[in-house]
Amino acid sequence: MPISSSPARKGWLRRVTRSRWLRPFNDAHAWESVLSGLNPMWSRRGFAARVIGIVDETEDTKSFLLRPSRRWPQHLAGQHVVVETEIEGRRLHRSFSISSAPSATGTIRITVKLHAESRVARWMHAQLAIGGIVRLSAPAGQFIAPEGANPLLLLSAGSGVTPIVAILQDQKRRNPDREIVLIHSCRRHSDWILKDEIRALAADWPALRVHVQFSSEGGRLDVTRLRLWAPQLAAMQAMVCGPTALVDLLHSPGAPAGLPQVVMTESYSGRVFPSASGGEQSHPVHFELTEHLFTARGDRSLLEQAELAGLKPAHGCRIGICKSCQCLKRSGSVLDLRTGKISSEPDELIQLCISAPRSALNLAL
Amino acid sequence: MSKTILNETELSALQAELDGVRDRIWARVGQQDADHIRKMVRRARGSAMTGRGLLMFGFDPFTWVAGVLALAHAKILENMEIGHNVLHGQYDWLNDESLNSQTYEWDIVCTSQHWRRTHNQDHHNHTNIVGVDDDYGYGLLRLTGSQKWTWKTLFQPIWYALLAIYFQWGVAIQDLKLGRWWKGRMSNQELAQRANPFMVKARAQLVKDYVLFPIIGFWNWPRIVVGNAAANLIRSLWTNAVIFCGHFTEHAQTYTKAEAANESRGGWYLRQIQGSSNLEGGRWFYLMTGHLSHQIEHHLFPDLPAPRYPEIAAEVRLICEKYGIHYNSAGFWRQYSSVLWRILKYAFPVERRRVTTTPQIA
Repeated sequence: MPISSSPARKGWLRRVTRSRWLRPFNDAHAWESVLSGLNPMWSRRGFAARVIGIVDETEDTKSFLLRPSRRWPQHLAGQHVVVETEIEGRRLHRSFSISSAPSATGTIRITVKLHAESRVARWMHAQLAIGGIVRLSAPAGQFIAPEGANPLLLLSAGSGVTPIVAILQDQKRRNPDREIVLIHSCRRHSDWILKDEIRALAADWPALRVHVQFSSEGGRLDVTRLRLWAPQLAAMQAMVCGPTALVDLLHSPGAPAGLPQVVMTESYSGRVFPSASGGEQSHPVHFELTEHLFTARGDRSLLEQAELAGLKPAHGCRIGICKSCQCLKRSGSVLDLRTGKISSEPDELIQLCISAPRSALNLAL
Repeated sequence: MSKTILNETELSALQAELDGVRDRIWARVGQQDADHIRKMVRRARGSAMTGRGLLMFGFDPFTWVAGVLALAHAKILENMEIGHNVLHGQYDWLNDESLNSQTYEWDIVCTSQHWRRTHNQDHHNHTNIVGVDDDYGYGLLRLTGSQKWTWKTLFQPIWYALLAIYFQWGVAIQDLKLGRWWKGRMSNQELAQRANPFMVKARAQLVKDYVLFPIIGFWNWPRIVVGNAAANLIRSLWTNAVIFCGHFTEHAQTYTKAEAANESRGGWYLRQIQGSSNLEGGRWFYLMTGHLSHQIEHHLFPDLPAPRYPEIAAEVRLICEKYGIHYNSAGFWRQYSSVLWRILKYAFPVERRRVTTTPQIA
């Protein structure tokens, strides 16, 4: 659960809030329920944020203007935030880039593309209205423009443009003379997210040049095209945000010489459609906390295979009733061997003894 | 009532039917269950504040009695409907760290850590297998013929009365395996190590009820000390009665290790049904038992949100009838008196049977 209720405190205050001897007066969960019951914005668990505006960007993309509670630590342009929603009683999380630069009013914008497999995005599109409240994590992420005056290449595809827009807003305010080339790729003109804003930014900003490739007309972006649009490519610092294939364009070991120095990437793999079949395939399983990696087949339990790999995760009954082997699945899909159900949302709890992998997995173990 | 034994074909058919019940009910689990458990948390907190407030600020016997009852109600609700069920992971799907089985710490001297091991892992897996299920008689009571009888067993009604009064302590020290230490099979050092989490928790619980709140109550401290002790006593007697009704009623069956060896999932289901017994009553009664009134359904699906048990009870009962399995269900007094009778009866050397397998000392 990425959004936790215990903000870091120091010294005596921490001792008082944690002291076993003062129970139940310092029960954080009880205070949280009192505060958020009085006013949801007073919640101390993560940061509550109220929706103050919704903009339709494209057919399948909406922007949400959010006003987080005053405790919100201001983000840096390019960072992302985890949004928590409660759907049918379940708290679900999904991480979104913040598509606006830090502002004096504290308002932030997230731009959400509808993904069939993301319940959070689906819910936000269908249910979240102005005045509604979501919960945010603190801003996080390293996708931040390097300081200095070096020319910058911003390369994005699809919804990868969202943190790029935040970076553009920020650079225009703080560093308007810096030379920036934005190369964006999306399917068609109507899929271009935040295009009006990008055009408005470029209109009175001579140092910014914008090139867009519509893959339905001109095919995919390639290095030749990049060279054409950014002739001094080798001298630039590049930030890339998009599917893995886009990042590989500049970043893979086989990439040709004369490419820019890639300073930052943010990639996401394409859609995964896990299926109940496919048990004979093997998938990499990563225990994030203990930094172990092993491969596991899709037709046997993770517990069994972790043990075969020499790991010793906590476990109990081995038949799915005691929850001793339960852990947080950060990402990836697993099949519940008892019910045949697939879990593919990030940050869901799974039991190792009855779960088989259906994709690469990251587990908080 | 004799034990029903099914062949493998019948067992797998039974398993398929019960799995179907589970899948259908899980499909309905959602907002309603989230709202329920949060409501119970608020109710338990409200009741505790009311009870402690009445004990603290009242000055007459009526507010004292009301305070004790409200506090006992809060403790029972927290232990049974919230704590026990949350620790089973019934609400883990909420993704709420305050209601998560691995982090929840309940308001009782038994640590959640011990409970997850002795109850979730051992008892729920090996239910009613004599010599393996530590909860079967708690190493203290002889409740079936295959358990050993010695002249000391004659005193078991007294041990039982003490266990009922100090039930939370009995449960709390269960995982310490004091028997092994007593027989010299565990060093003092190991015992101290095992006991450490329990000591820490017990101290905090005692301080809360017998130091912190009495101090806040100033001159009312004797009222508070006695009131808290009374509330703890009520909680112990009640939870003990409910839990003993779960597996030690007249028709609750026991198993040997050999019988349970290599059992299929269907066989596991069958043992859970025959080893458990239900209590009948109203909605409030169900809440006060933490829905252990539906021990059979609970043992079939320990991680299903408990308020769903009454919804599937009729269906489970029909399946039992179909396979000729006795569905052990009756009112509280009927079941509890049969438990007390069982404790009394087996105190005497009746039905002494040689145990075919050596009991495993876990």
